[in-house]
Amino acid sequence: MLAEKALDLVRELHRSLGGTLSPYNEDKIRQVLEEMQTLYDQNKDGAQFAAEGQTDLISAIQVRHAGIQRNKRCLLAYLYTRLEQIRKMRWEFGSVLPPDVKYNMCEQEVQWFNQYNRLLANYMRSVGESGGLDLTQDMKPPKTLYVLVRCIADHGEFETQDGNTVLFKKNSQHYLLRSECEHLIRQGVLEHIIQ
Amino acid sequence: MLIKDFRRDFYDVLQHQRVLVLVAFDVDALCACKILQYLFQCDQVLYTIVPVDGLQELEHAFLENAEGIRHVILINCGAAVDIVEMLQPEDHVRFYICDSHRPVDVHNFYNAVQVKLLMREDELSSMPAYDDLFRDDGEDESEESDSENDDPETGYKRKRFDDESIIRRQDRRRWNESRVKTLFDYSKFTSYGTSAALMMFELAWKLSKDTNSLLWLAIVGVTDQFVHYRTPRDKYMEDIMSLQSHVSRHNQRGADDENIMSVNCLRVSFEEELYLPLYRHWKLFDSICHSMPIACKLRLWSLKGQKRLHEFLAEMGLPLTQCKQQYSAMDTAMRSEVKVKILEYMNKYGLEIQDVIIPSFTMQYGYKHLLCATDFVYAAAAALESVDRLRLPTDNFLAATEILQRCVSRKIEAGLESAKLQLRGVVNQVQSFLDMHQIISAGPFLYVCVQEGTADSRFFSHPQCLLRLARYTLQAHCSVSRNKRVRSLPLVLGAPLSIEEGRSIMVGIPPLDTDDERKNFFGKAFEQAAESTNTVVRFNSFDSHIIEMKTEDRSKFFDALISILQ
Repeated sequence: MLAEKALDLVRELHRSLGGTLSPYNEDKIRQVLEEMQTLYDQNKDGAQFAAEGQTDLISAIQVRHAGIQRNKRCLLAYLYTRLEQIRKMRWEFGSVLPPDVKYNMCEQEVQWFNQYNRLLANYMRSVGESGGLDLTQDMKPPKTLYVLVRCIADHGEFETQDGNTVLFKKNSQHYLLRSECEHLIRQGVLEHIIQ
Repeated sequence: MLIKDFRRDFYDVLQHQRVLVLVAFDVDALCACKILQYLFQCDQVLYTIVPVDGLQELEHAFLENAEGIRHVILINCGAAVDIVEMLQPEDHVRFYICDSHRPVDVHNFYNAVQVKLLMREDELSSMPAYDDLFRDDGEDESEESDSENDDPETGYKRKRFDDESIIRRQDRRRWNESRVKTLFDYSKFTSYGTSAALMMFELAWKLSKDTNSLLWLAIVGVTDQFVHYRTPRDKYMEDIMSLQSHVSRHNQRGADDENIMSVNCLRVSFEEELYLPLYRHWKLFDSICHSMPIACKLRLWSLKGQKRLHEFLAEMGLPLTQCKQQYSAMDTAMRSEVKVKILEYMNKYGLEIQDVIIPSFTMQYGYKHLLCATDFVYAAAAALESVDRLRLPTDNFLAATEILQRCVSRKIEAGLESAKLQLRGVVNQVQSFLDMHQIISAGPFLYVCVQEGTADSRFFSHPQCLLRLARYTLQAHCSVSRNKRVRSLPLVLGAPLSIEEGRSIMVGIPPLDTDDERKNFFGKAFEQAAESTNTVVRFNSFDSHIIEMKTEDRSKFFDALISILQ
């Protein structure tokens, strides 16, 4: 059916919107482009005949043209939404994407990602007074600057920003700057205690 | 040095500083620690909390965490030892000690720079005067005499036999003797002062940061001291009265319908509670069987005692089928009558009001059962002294913290279950002591040892549970024994700590007739017995009447103890 494949692409995208990036479906995109090419070729011929006086062809041409337009819209939607997804991931995961996400991206997307990365880094360096500001850190305003954490594993000494050292020993509890211990919480060294 | 103004000399000093908090393993300390945590979080004071189980661990934890730390808070630990001498801190380190153990070490009291005591002044009135303990001019002299003793030949040459120096030396000797005597008199008895949680709550109150949940923690702390025989009843009543005014201040609401509090708020109320352990979460019958005063008065371990209990229940009009099912499932009409009935008929069975009633507080939070302060203490203490061998002591500490957090009702229920197991263990052990006639009078004191390898012995390697067992055993023995003298005999109880290493734990409790003073002389006695027998005794616990030793040294140690106490 006309423009069926393009719709498939959009459906596929819709299924994967839950946070994961689906693999870049190069095959299907090629098929859609081929379909568009065929339609275009048919239209080109049809247009010639129509100009010569076969007016009954005009409606067929219009249908094909609508198909081409639709395919185009679908493709653009596919690509753009993927870019949006990748951009969102930059803010979530930081400048280095996990390998499984990277594997699902096409070459152009990787390129775009790197450029976006550079732009964002440049911008973050320019705001704030000294050394810039990490905009990705607190996406929502945090409720408290400090959090209470408990060590789940022996981690050894840890130097805080103000130059003090804190010993992370199993089952000790600490009240620390949220920004400092966030990555340790992600690593599974600390556990955030909600009071 | 004693701090007069907690706010100025303690709390304000800590602002914008990193603080190390060392907490002992008891429920009172836990409550105090949680109150302090809340205060620190309000003011964004950075802190690190390390639980410490014994003096050795205190030392270890300090060494590990001391880097860059200027302020150390000790909760329910450290007052009874010379903390500066023990930890050898750098000069800029300050210690703040909030400890209910008494007596306070004299060096801690008179150290004006490094040690600050967060205690009530009137409780330290027995402190000896400074001049009796320290003599500034004497310092050099004593060194001199030391060197003379080390090297008699050179010393002999230097010795001048003029009258003045002889008089000085005599004077010094006399002073030394009196110093030893004063010190001994001062530290003869160990006891407990005001609960640390209450002190912390009062600080919160002075800072206008007191809330209902902090108040609840203070109540639990005070109750813990009573449940574990640390404070006499008078003192407990006094604390309860002062807490009651706070309770009514925080839980005051108008009677009209518009002012009804949401069910999700914590509600605390004062109540004359039945002194039956965990009865709201247990069966009434079981709870009565496990309550120490009633069980001892009725001698529930014997067949006759059981009969008397049945009689008692029958007279009160409580059918056994009702008593032997979950309290929460009892008939509501009957449930409301239980207290009145017990009060009505207790005299006939020789029970006094102190045995069955304790003024206490209850709290309600959400749609859960009503919880009493003693329930909390039992649950948290059972979690602190969990018998699961796979768990570290610090795991238990955190589990107990979660119970006190009170929002995780699943954890509270698990704590209550293990508390029941503990109580059952204690009662079974007492029963087997009595059945096997294992309590032996050694002359000046009674002693009894928990046999190794019995099913319940795992409960008794922990100090609090051991202490409860000792108290129960003594009371049960007194109620059985025909000998009048028994009431004036103290009890020493030993239990295996670890069978593989052959170590055991020992606790001494004062005799029943002086019980209400809650003064314990076993700390000094154990110390002297250990000295005279040269046994290796570990005084690791913060309570000096609890010691650890090798099981094989036990009989030797007992012999020495007998000769000392005679």
